[in-house]
Amino acid sequence: MPLLEVADLTYRYPDGTHALSGVSFAVERGEKVALLGPTGAGKSTLLLHLNGLLLPASGCVTIDGIAVSGGTVREVRQRVGLVFQDPDDQLFLPSLLEDVAFGPLNEGCDPEGAELLARGVLQSLGLGGNEMRAAHHLSGGEKRLAALATVLVSHPLVLVLDEPTSNLDARGKRRLVRLLRERGETLLVATHDLAVARALCERAVIMADGALVHDGQLEHIVTDQEFLDHHGLWAEL
Amino acid sequence: MSFRHLDQFAQVSSPITALAPALRVLGTVVVALGAATLRLGAWPQLATLAGLVLVLAAVARIPLRTLLLRMLGPLVFVLFASVALLFLVPGEVVARVWWIDLTDNGLLRFGSALGRAFTALAAAVILVSTTTFPEIVQALRELRLPHAVTTALGLAYRFLYVIVDELERLQRAARSRNAGAGAAKRRRLLVSVVAAVLRRALVRSERTHRAMLARGFHGEIISLHRSRVDARSIMLLALLGLVVGAVTLSSYLAR
Amino acid sequence: MAHIPDGFLSAPVIAGTALASAGALAIAARRSRDSLGGQEAPLLGATTAFVFAAQMLNFPLGAGVSAHLLGSVLVATLVGPWAGMLVIFAVVLVQALLFQDGGVAALGANTLNLAVIGVGGGYAIYRWVLALVGVGPRRVISAAAVAAYVSALLVGLAAAVELALSHTLPFETAVLAIVGSHALVGFFEAALTGALLGLVYRTQPGLVANQVAPSGAERGWAYALAGVSLLVAVFAAYAASSRPDAFEAAIQRLGIEDTALTHLAGPFADYAAPIGGPWVAAALGVALVFALGWSLARFMAHVGRRT
Repeated sequence: MPLLEVADLTYRYPDGTHALSGVSFAVERGEKVALLGPTGAGKSTLLLHLNGLLLPASGCVTIDGIAVSGGTVREVRQRVGLVFQDPDDQLFLPSLLEDVAFGPLNEGCDPEGAELLARGVLQSLGLGGNEMRAAHHLSGGEKRLAALATVLVSHPLVLVLDEPTSNLDARGKRRLVRLLRERGETLLVATHDLAVARALCERAVIMADGALVHDGQLEHIVTDQEFLDHHGLWAEL
Repeated sequence: MSFRHLDQFAQVSSPITALAPALRVLGTVVVALGAATLRLGAWPQLATLAGLVLVLAAVARIPLRTLLLRMLGPLVFVLFASVALLFLVPGEVVARVWWIDLTDNGLLRFGSALGRAFTALAAAVILVSTTTFPEIVQALRELRLPHAVTTALGLAYRFLYVIVDELERLQRAARSRNAGAGAAKRRRLLVSVVAAVLRRALVRSERTHRAMLARGFHGEIISLHRSRVDARSIMLLALLGLVVGAVTLSSYLAR
Repeated sequence: MAHIPDGFLSAPVIAGTALASAGALAIAARRSRDSLGGQEAPLLGATTAFVFAAQMLNFPLGAGVSAHLLGSVLVATLVGPWAGMLVIFAVVLVQALLFQDGGVAALGANTLNLAVIGVGGGYAIYRWVLALVGVGPRRVISAAAVAAYVSALLVGLAAAVELALSHTLPFETAVLAIVGSHALVGFFEAALTGALLGLVYRTQPGLVANQVAPSGAERGWAYALAGVSLLVAVFAAYAASSRPDAFEAAIQRLGIEDTALTHLAGPFADYAAPIGGPWVAAALGVALVFALGWSLARFMAHVGRRT
């Protein structure tokens, strides 16, 4: 059984425009998949369906065998760790420690336990010593790691990342990529950055105009210039 | 924007910082109330309370110069308001400055308002100099203020930094695009910048809400902090309350 | 700076306003939970932070004068009146504790003025005007601008009453000074509220809450209230003009007979009008106020569209 399954997912915005039409794909445990496509293709909208923040007009999302619905969002969100594009949206408490402990506390962990978990994760990501600092005192790269920490602390089965390396310098990118490669979670990364996709993933799912247009091995498409142009992708040479 | 310095204020540890934030806040309220409700013209009691506050500042390891500097801004406003009282309150004329009559009532109110405000102000400055914003939010939570308010304040801390950053960035961009524009145009630009910041803030709050939901939020922010209120702090607060209460009451009893 | 510092209010006023605002906030906490549900936390946080940031800004008015936004009505239109009270309370609270803008002991009074009266009263005026003119983007913005103006006046009046009750200032001085200055500041508040709301509305109309069209009953009440105000004004003018002794006695008791206020009122002292006497004069007065408010509101909406 795949860990993550999207079946014929369709979604319409409140004003009626189609955002997703009949998207279908599956991700097995341990796989690392890149979600590619130009801006406006519907990548972010798709990601919001994976933990029930958006519910489909038709079709189904299944996580670890659980169908995503209004009643199952709690279990789904314990299994899916969604890291958003803007770290400032995820670091909203006065200190990093509180931000990272937020998830465990919501799941019923006691304050001492939550604090211990938070410290541990921050330490493992190289942010030890920053526990009492507020996010605006961190560099862009550190903020991204902190945002990741807020999700990793809950031990999700699948990590979903929306543009994790945007606005990062080369050093920041390398640090983040290295970190993600070491981890064993199933990974779905939406990104513009083909180099990052190549560094992390073997498989690529490509979207355009709300539909899934390609699903295959990443290596096969990175050298096909025509293919890249056709799908609005840019490969860093 | 003059709020960022608050992050650096509460660095010095002292017997005051050892107290629970909730009790520091209560202590400030007690002193402010005591000072604000002193009988008019009770100069000895006023001096006593002012002296008490200065002693507390010393205990908090705040240098007098620093204390006065931090009080300066609000004190200027209070000074203006007090001087207004000097001229506006009717009563028996006791002196004449240029063309303005100074009344006995006016002098009484001027001195009382200024003195009481000074004392209460000093207490508030001691609080802000020894307590970080997150600690104040925690204190308000422990003091049972409405959840909606303490949660809003807790989130407002980060929002404020992000909003002000955006505000400054947009202002700079607008200014560089419109260098040399007249005052009216600059005012209109400022308004459109502020509106843009408002819009972004509201949209950002929706994204933040999603991020909160994604991590299991269901309506209330659970605090990581444990209450630091202990018997010793409560006794100290009670002592402070008794002293301040005695001084204030005595201003009404002694004639 | 509409915030009253410590030392200017008497103990009974401090206690009374603290109780009143505590009660109002308790109601607001319950009501806002009902209307916003779980959504409220980040929305209130962002709104609180915005008001805070906006109040730190200087809006130059020219000739070295600058003004600050109060924001009570703006907040009420964005998050509703109850949540709005909590937001403004949070702002006033932090300003008092951390910035010493407004006294700590005077917190009850400042909360009552800005959060309860400023937001609640302003919102009531907003709904009243909407009930009179109907909904639609321009009308919403105009209503908000008028409400912002009246809200500023009400805040000033409340502060003046508190200072007078504390015997800090004689009532007429307080009214002249504080309500007078707020009457001027109100124009800026109305303009800025209208402009900001207009710009937000244009791009994201869904953000402006409470777009519910007034019900027939609401409209009925609104017209009735307007009619009653007119009648009260006319009656007061009639009573004043036909019973000069009673009126003068009242003036003497209030202590305003020899102050600038009566000098200002000089031209209208006898409430005479070219045609019809005091009735017409009073009716004209009320109509004039409404007309001014209405044209102000339309101007604000116009400005809001242009920027």
